[in-house]
Amino acid sequence: MKTTHTTRLALTLAATAAALVACGGGGGDDGPQAVTLEFAAVSGATAVKCGTLVTALGSPAVDAQIKDFRLYVSNVQMVKADGTKVALTLGANDDWNLTSGDNRMTLIDLEDGTGSCAGGTAATNALIKGTVPAGDYVGVELTMGVPFALNHSDYATATKPLDIQAMAWSWQSGRKFAKIEVTDPAGATGTWTANTFNFHLGSTGCTGNPASGQTVNCLTPNRMTFRLASFNPATQKIAVDIKALVAGTDITRNQAGAPGCMSGGTDPECLKVFEALAIDWKADGTGTGLPLAGGAAQTLFKAIAK
Amino acid sequence: MIRSRPQRPACRQVAKRLVAGVAASAMLAGLTACGGGGTTVTETRPSGDAWAWNLPAFFPTPKVPADNPMTTAKVELGRHLFYDERLSGNGRQSCASCHRQALAFTDGRGTALGSTGEPHPRGAQHLSNVVYNATLTWANPSLVTLERQMETPLFGESPVEMGVNDANKDAVLQRLRDDAAYTARFAAAFPGDAAPVQWPHIIKAIASFQRALVSGNSLYDRYLQGVATLSPAQTRGMNLFFGEKAECFHCHGSFNFNDQIVHAASRIVETPFSNTGLYNIDGRGGFPDGNRGVFELTARADDMGKFRAPSLRNVEVTAPYMHDGSIATLAEALRFYAAGGRHITSGPLAGDGRANPYKSDLISRIDLSEQEQADIVEFLKSLTDHDFLKDTRFADPFAPR
Repeated sequence: MKTTHTTRLALTLAATAAALVACGGGGGDDGPQAVTLEFAAVSGATAVKCGTLVTALGSPAVDAQIKDFRLYVSNVQMVKADGTKVALTLGANDDWNLTSGDNRMTLIDLEDGTGSCAGGTAATNALIKGTVPAGDYVGVELTMGVPFALNHSDYATATKPLDIQAMAWSWQSGRKFAKIEVTDPAGATGTWTANTFNFHLGSTGCTGNPASGQTVNCLTPNRMTFRLASFNPATQKIAVDIKALVAGTDITRNQAGAPGCMSGGTDPECLKVFEALAIDWKADGTGTGLPLAGGAAQTLFKAIAK
Repeated sequence: MIRSRPQRPACRQVAKRLVAGVAASAMLAGLTACGGGGTTVTETRPSGDAWAWNLPAFFPTPKVPADNPMTTAKVELGRHLFYDERLSGNGRQSCASCHRQALAFTDGRGTALGSTGEPHPRGAQHLSNVVYNATLTWANPSLVTLERQMETPLFGESPVEMGVNDANKDAVLQRLRDDAAYTARFAAAFPGDAAPVQWPHIIKAIASFQRALVSGNSLYDRYLQGVATLSPAQTRGMNLFFGEKAECFHCHGSFNFNDQIVHAASRIVETPFSNTGLYNIDGRGGFPDGNRGVFELTARADDMGKFRAPSLRNVEVTAPYMHDGSIATLAEALRFYAAGGRHITSGPLAGDGRANPYKSDLISRIDLSEQEQADIVEFLKSLTDHDFLKDTRFADPFAPR
């Protein structure tokens, strides 16, 4: 598969970068060092992909198929031991990466359009590649979401990777920050009362200005900013854990609101999901949509060995 | 009822109207708007491409996005696209499937059906004077341009309407590229573009066609111009409509009979949404799940059941009424407003909407006799623009003639 080569190359680069760091700068090389962040779809300790049964999701635990697994990641910063943060500069804009002004973002696409992911795309992208000034970095901070300045652009005319129709979220004139979906493995003949559990993250309560034609404000940003305090990109990757995302949620039925959790401010299926994201959400609709305590308690992302 | 004094851009439009040779009343307005100085601003675009609004004098100059100016070629392309079923993913539905001209571009259904048969929770809205709408749908403060709004029916997934998606959007384009008549129309509408058959151009063209859908020649409009008279019942209804008894005008009082208006000279645009007491299913103001108005977007309690007051132009032909089509006739709508809400006594939607705590304070019981209600209905029928409903400029270009 095409990505295998890419991954291998990235690993080499990352390892090289790590080697430079390990040398403690003795070589006097103050130039930028390459960093590659690799993402992986997992369920607990198990890698998951389209077309392969994922076991024991949610509560009660049921088996499911992945239907979609895409997320926008923005404004990655590498974190030093003293807590200072340095922005990861992306390479040239391409199918997956966009730098616009101070905003940097990447579409992570962990579905390949096969099997139960038939509505998706064949191309995949698990990597964010960039550079930081030479230094000793111990962790990483990132945001699952699209920066406000880019979020409400017109999908029909938007620059890649904001032109993906599936990630458009027209009801809020914005984007889905994440589109992670699991479906009944038996398909239409299955026993789930709601056939698919959809997780769509995005800003809600958005308002436009009819005089300017622009989106001006969203009550609930729902951008998930968090830190992996200890993370070594040379030896570790960032796992996105579907099991953690739906822990405590019955994914086979929809109590109310959109099927699954589409960031609805009072949708009961969002209660446990937003707990996993560590974003402020309250059943009465008064949640702020801001990270709680810097996202410290989030469980969706974790560092695992490569 | 003229909401604002037209600024300089209006003069340009008025000048065009004068060139187009419209009536004396327009000339009068033109003199007023241009300060009596006889200022003329001539259109610099090639004459064959220029767009002339055909507006009553009391309509403000429409707002048009700077990046999508009106041209006759674009409007004509947009008309073809609007009526073309090839524009849906499965080729079974066009914009016009849910927006039929004879019904002021509604579909006669309570709630709409998408190209794949998926039901929409709300009804298709009429498009009369949609160019003046500040927000575009029943209850979405974020959709403020026709270009952006259109992406919901084209590309939306829940529910699927036209059903265009990543998998088929290139194929849909190819259908149009394979049609030589289309490539010529696109080239005319977007000159200088080597490959003009693109989604952004499709969207701009359809938006231009929608902006052209001006309805201003109803009996009432002609009455305002002094060239027609209303019946006694319509006159009584009009006085009630605009009077302090029925108070319909609070939400339907603009020249377009709604309360959300944007036009070329708008600076600050208010976009009110109102709860009219249609439901109260839990005794705490609840509306049916999935159709809770602005609340669906904001989750704020105060937004429960708030919907946009639609323009009442051509309301005679846009039944059934309300966002979910739950009121069948104008007479029933008048009874509903006279009662200050709806009391549903049985079934899953039971509840006394009259007591909805989020109901607008403008909606209260009105002591309207049956005769008075009937008079208001008669007045509303004077808002039907029969020319608009059969104007060949807005008609299906593919229909057999």
